[in-house]
Amino acid sequence: MSWFELNEEKFHHCCQLILQQSEQLSDGWIWEVVQGSKEGYLRKTALRSVTIDSKSVQKQKGSSLDPEPHTSYHSSVEQQGQEDEQPDCIKDDIDDEDAGICMMTANSSQVLQFEYHILYSCSYSSPVLYFRAFTLEGRSLTLEEVWNSVHPNFRLCLQNSPLDTITQQEHPLLGQPFFVLHPCRTKDFMRPVLQAAQDQHRPVNYVLSWLSVVGPVVGLDVPLKYSTQLHPAASLSSTEPD
Amino acid sequence: MADDKDVLRDVWFGRIPTCFTLNQDEVTEREAEPYYLLLPRVSYLTLVTDKVKKHFLKVMRAEDVEEMWFEYEGTPLKWHYPIGVLFDLHASNNVLPWSITVHFKNFPEHDLLHCPSNSVIEAHFMSSIKEADALKHKSQVVNDMQKKDHKQLWMGLQNDKFDQFWAMNRKLMEYPTEEGGFRYIPFRIYQTMSDRPFIQKLFRPTSPEGNAHTLGDLLKEMYPDALTNDGKSPHKGTRWVNTLRHSSYPTAYLSVISFGDGRK
Repeated sequence: MSWFELNEEKFHHCCQLILQQSEQLSDGWIWEVVQGSKEGYLRKTALRSVTIDSKSVQKQKGSSLDPEPHTSYHSSVEQQGQEDEQPDCIKDDIDDEDAGICMMTANSSQVLQFEYHILYSCSYSSPVLYFRAFTLEGRSLTLEEVWNSVHPNFRLCLQNSPLDTITQQEHPLLGQPFFVLHPCRTKDFMRPVLQAAQDQHRPVNYVLSWLSVVGPVVGLDVPLKYSTQLHPAASLSSTEPD
Repeated sequence: MADDKDVLRDVWFGRIPTCFTLNQDEVTEREAEPYYLLLPRVSYLTLVTDKVKKHFLKVMRAEDVEEMWFEYEGTPLKWHYPIGVLFDLHASNNVLPWSITVHFKNFPEHDLLHCPSNSVIEAHFMSSIKEADALKHKSQVVNDMQKKDHKQLWMGLQNDKFDQFWAMNRKLMEYPTEEGGFRYIPFRIYQTMSDRPFIQKLFRPTSPEGNAHTLGDLLKEMYPDALTNDGKSPHKGTRWVNTLRHSSYPTAYLSVISFGDGRK
């Protein structure tokens, strides 16, 4: 196992350190155990006020310019809430007819409940971020709505990559639909981070550094305090090369 | 591999006779006849059921139709598992044809992934191919392939073209002779009696002493307490390399079904 790879044991160790720090910072991370196994995952829920960038909604849907830009995204979501069982494709049609006109309006924001899970992938020897989001009424966000909640700067980068980076997939431990940031590029962006840390003999928590890169894409910010003040001695131990 | 083509063909062309019936609660303008189809084990439900959809839409009004999904005896069927896995997991003990219920409303958001288009299936398929190659070759083979090679794999599956698919897939199944095998065996053990959908861990094709691992070795290591059954029933002494090359689904995962009720 190379120093740049994360094995399961190291993953658990990194998670333990995050949990200790999270407790002191009241950041809300907890460890969920999977029944009948040693495996588990880090979990956190957060309320977020999400600003929807409406221009890109239009770009994504590829619909023609609509002359009646009245309805905000917010009200569009409420409207969809009543049509909870509608599949995406039908929703799109409905949106385009009435509520979807929102695409032309100015940005709006609404409060959403996000649930983040950090799992270990043995295939990619890396952590993976799973998440799902609900409106306060309890309706699950669609993949399209999740994309629209991503900051436009990130969104352009991600959508121009060959593989759509956010997809809906089965949570490998719970068997339920979650959104996931695809892990296949993780090693590419972690390598320079780890290399620099190694060269400068700096401590680094793989999972924490990784999270600080991928988390903000989906609104999960990692407070700087994780890396500065807490337990420098404890975090040192995570830097031991294998 | 050339000598093994018959086995590959038998696996590829495996079919399950299936009867699709419209859910009784759907609103129809006249009675919906059941629809019969031979389902390819290696494909995906949502990829091969265009005809089923068309058949039932004939008796329904457009406003009553939402995203189509399938259910077997109360269990929503996960389209992102290969059809053969779904059958072995849920219905292998029952008489044929396999009786699947078709729904056009009340999509089970908490159980199923949405499948709005074939491009979603393609993305899922490619993501499985990539993950399996990460295990087999550290992603080297799949990353060396060109976009058109990836497309060839997908088109082979989509259009049921055995030769087209295997001309490319054989590259994913090769390894340098001196290495004696893949890095790890991509496998999934699906479980019937657990919320957790499947078990997937690292497993080398050979023991530290250099002996080839068998299917029995894997089951012993991963799942010591349960009785297991393999969908395609290779002998437990079969060497991994052969099992994987012959029996894995196009997603490149060898799939083993584990029944928690002691069935063998």
